[in-house]
Amino acid sequence: MTPGDFFFQQLLNGLTIGSIYALIALGYTMVYGIIQLINFAHGEIFMVGAYLGLAAILLIGKVHPGLNPTAGLLLTLLAAAVGGGFLGLVIERVAYRPLRQGPKLSVLITAIGVSFFLQNAVMLVFGAQDRYVPPLLQVHRWQIGSVTVTLMQVIILAVSIGLMAGLQRIVYRTGLGRAMRATAQDPLAARLMGISVDRVIAATFCIGSALAGVGGVLFGLTYSTINFHDGYLIGLKAFTAAVLGGIGNIPGAMLGGLLLGFLEAFGAAYLSTQWKNVVAFTVLVLVLLLRPRGLLGERVAERA
Amino acid sequence: MRIRAGVLFLAGAAAASLLAGCGKGTPAAQIGFVGPLTGDQAATGLDMLHGAQLALEQARAAGEILPGYRVELVALDDSHSPAQAVSAAKRLTSNTDVIAVVGHLNSSCTKPASAVYSEARMLHVNPVSSNPEISRQGFDNFFRVCPTDDLQGPAGARFALTRLKAKRIFVIDDVTTYGRGLANEFIRSAQVQGAEIVGHEGITQGEKDFIPLLTKVKVLGPDLIYFAGMYPEAALLIKQRFELQIPAKFLGGDGLFEPTLINLAGPQAADSEVYITTLGGDIRGLPTARDFVRDFEAKYGHLGAYSSYAYEATRLVLEAVRRAGKKDRAAVLNAMKQMKSYSGILGIHTFDSRGDTTIRTIGIYTIKDGKFQFVEAVGG
Amino acid sequence: MKKTAIFLLLFLIPFLDPNSYHIEILATAALYALLALGLNIIVGFAGLLHLGYAAFFAIGAYTYALLNLRLGCPFWLGLPLGMGVAGVGGVLLGLPAVRVRGDYLAIVTLGFGEIVRIVVTNLEPWTGGPNGLLGIAHPVLGGFNFGVDSRPYYWLLLVLVGGIAWVCARLRRSRIGLAWAALREDELAARTLGINGTRLKLLALGLGGGIAGLAGAVFAAKQGTITPDSFDFILSVMILAMVILGGLGSVRGVILGAVVLSVLPELLQGFSTYRMLLFGIGMIGLMRLRPQGLLGISQIRRELQRAAS
Repeated sequence: MTPGDFFFQQLLNGLTIGSIYALIALGYTMVYGIIQLINFAHGEIFMVGAYLGLAAILLIGKVHPGLNPTAGLLLTLLAAAVGGGFLGLVIERVAYRPLRQGPKLSVLITAIGVSFFLQNAVMLVFGAQDRYVPPLLQVHRWQIGSVTVTLMQVIILAVSIGLMAGLQRIVYRTGLGRAMRATAQDPLAARLMGISVDRVIAATFCIGSALAGVGGVLFGLTYSTINFHDGYLIGLKAFTAAVLGGIGNIPGAMLGGLLLGFLEAFGAAYLSTQWKNVVAFTVLVLVLLLRPRGLLGERVAERA
Repeated sequence: MRIRAGVLFLAGAAAASLLAGCGKGTPAAQIGFVGPLTGDQAATGLDMLHGAQLALEQARAAGEILPGYRVELVALDDSHSPAQAVSAAKRLTSNTDVIAVVGHLNSSCTKPASAVYSEARMLHVNPVSSNPEISRQGFDNFFRVCPTDDLQGPAGARFALTRLKAKRIFVIDDVTTYGRGLANEFIRSAQVQGAEIVGHEGITQGEKDFIPLLTKVKVLGPDLIYFAGMYPEAALLIKQRFELQIPAKFLGGDGLFEPTLINLAGPQAADSEVYITTLGGDIRGLPTARDFVRDFEAKYGHLGAYSSYAYEATRLVLEAVRRAGKKDRAAVLNAMKQMKSYSGILGIHTFDSRGDTTIRTIGIYTIKDGKFQFVEAVGG
Repeated sequence: MKKTAIFLLLFLIPFLDPNSYHIEILATAALYALLALGLNIIVGFAGLLHLGYAAFFAIGAYTYALLNLRLGCPFWLGLPLGMGVAGVGGVLLGLPAVRVRGDYLAIVTLGFGEIVRIVVTNLEPWTGGPNGLLGIAHPVLGGFNFGVDSRPYYWLLLVLVGGIAWVCARLRRSRIGLAWAALREDELAARTLGINGTRLKLLALGLGGGIAGLAGAVFAAKQGTITPDSFDFILSVMILAMVILGGLGSVRGVILGAVVLSVLPELLQGFSTYRMLLFGIGMIGLMRLRPQGLLGISQIRRELQRAAS
């Protein structure tokens, strides 16, 4: 492998994990954009999504073994999205809405509580062992010189870009999106204008969590093992990615995710895996010092 | 009003925890078991707990262990956290019903907790924390039923050089007390024997994507990858190495010796020159362990890599309790010290001055047709 | 008067209840209370959301451990040195961090927290790497070695918590405390009034970091061995949770928060694998009952009244 090929292969490696970070970061950024809440339980919803995906795959295998793989993938993604979205609604209702009038940081506690609950609930239901996720699709590879591209890499990237575009469309082109933006700017005024703020926030959680569910399935299919503990690390990384790109900004989440993926891959490639997280966090700190609102964050005036 | 509800919740939790500890009519003599029952290592911790539970159950069925007492197991959780390990240890030592302890999976937890048991003069038998430094602290109440990493590392290196003919080795560990300790022992020994270590890197427990690292390994072209860590990460390394078509052989430590590894890596990837060094010989090949394997699988289904060690350690403790014949920590510890040898399922243990077992067999396995296959045993 | 009585009562507990496990839990709670008090200066007083507080705890612990193992430095010298080094660390890491605001500060501090932990893990020749440091000396006071007995650590920590709490309460009512409150509530307005925001923020980070260093040195001396996995992100989050649960800015509140969140998991030990599930439900329940924190009062109003009078 020439140094050039090595570089491109690592770029591709970074793109894979980066697309997953991006997908999870989209949910973080969306919720933050609307109600300035860091949803620390988001990583856990992602993890539950991965398990829902596993359950769906196993169920499809049992009920309809000969199903077309593409249809199987779509069904699995749908199941995880619906399940994740529903979970998001429940969490919002139980753990966040009752505290919305309280101090801003109090939801941090309930979020941690939700994390503990979900992790341990999944551990008790599915067992503490890592679980194997059977592949839905045949492994496809394309060889370009000595650089290898896999089908999963293409799917993940396509799904993340598609969902990012869809999300952008929802926020800027639909009535719900307009209500979301209004709520983000001034919840009180939005309420006075006849917007049901509670519903808008619930919808935001639902969509963000559905994305996390989809991310969980793709993650499970890519790495083929899942564990009840997976939400922690990925959640942390995705949160970092969202901030890197400018939290609250949808294309920013995508950019932040991919950038973080590249940083990790190149950190591992040219330095050492042990130091790659230091590289990633150092870049994060530097970016925030130069652009205090992230790469694509807007310079909005301080809220009064 | 609301404060009262909060107080009620706390009081309820307190009452429930007290109730959970209540026993039957006969007075109890308790044996502690501590391991990670929640958190990232919970799977392994629970496998061990099952081993301990089976040992006690069988001993009870075989007759009275301690005249006039009902012997019980108190299972505590250390969540793989050194600080929680210490408070669990104090919980046991402060309870006069507890007369001995089987404890801790992770070396980072066993180390600080062992000082607490030592202070309380309580018999402490450790099943699987293989870090050699633990027994060098000079605690006379400490006994360990598994061989240590200063045996496992060199045994692995010898096998790598002589049988696998490895000359250029890339070493990976999981940056834990166990993983780094074992990796360092392996490297030291491999270098002495003339192998070249082309790289040594650490990965983070819980990560899944090792493709950037392995892409680098592929370019370096070693003839062996050595991994010191646990099976979830190992499975992914093995699988991703297979997908990247890296021709290097793969050798790992006892943390990989877990049937789930094969399931997680996929049978094809697992069946690609993967070797594992284990503490002790072939458990399924040991005539002494046949009944244990049968009973364990009948009851719990899944036999974990460390279940047999927890079983062995608990049986050893029960034997010491039986010999002591009274509910007294000093007597139990003394009975253990007096025990010249103990014939368990892993073989006949005698203990050296540090409390380490003299069963120093390191088994070597490979994976064939989706199963572990015994290759050879080193040492004795 | 009431406070002195409570303090004396707490001091006497080891004589009333000789169970060393109970004392160990109390000592752990006191250690967390110390950490919560320190973080409260940063988050509660100065309003800086910090997610990497465990780093200063680690710096204090490793400072004492290394000084002791390499130079034979006794605990009573290592304690202030651990505090000092961690305090300086707080200021140094704060220099770049105070330039960003709000939730962005949270992620910068999270980054620093992770960087410190990974660096400690990777500097193997110095810190023992993942293997950690062993054989750290326990404190010796007038020929009496603390050993692994929980009681002397409990008393030591109780004195430290009492002292720091006293300082914190004074600090909050001082000019500095009022300036922090102003900065926290409206930075722009505070700066217009001539308050030097940067210097005050650095002061909070330095003090908070120092207190964590103090706790770290005690922790290292108490455990006798330290490994980097004792100082992870989850610890930072848990300390923050104690501060918020107790009531941001309330000195008594954060102590209570620390006690509740460190004792609750121990109370739940009887449930073994269900333990952390119930702990999660407990956290949600407690917060829903007291959204402003256990002892959170409308802090701001009180401070403003005090300032006005």
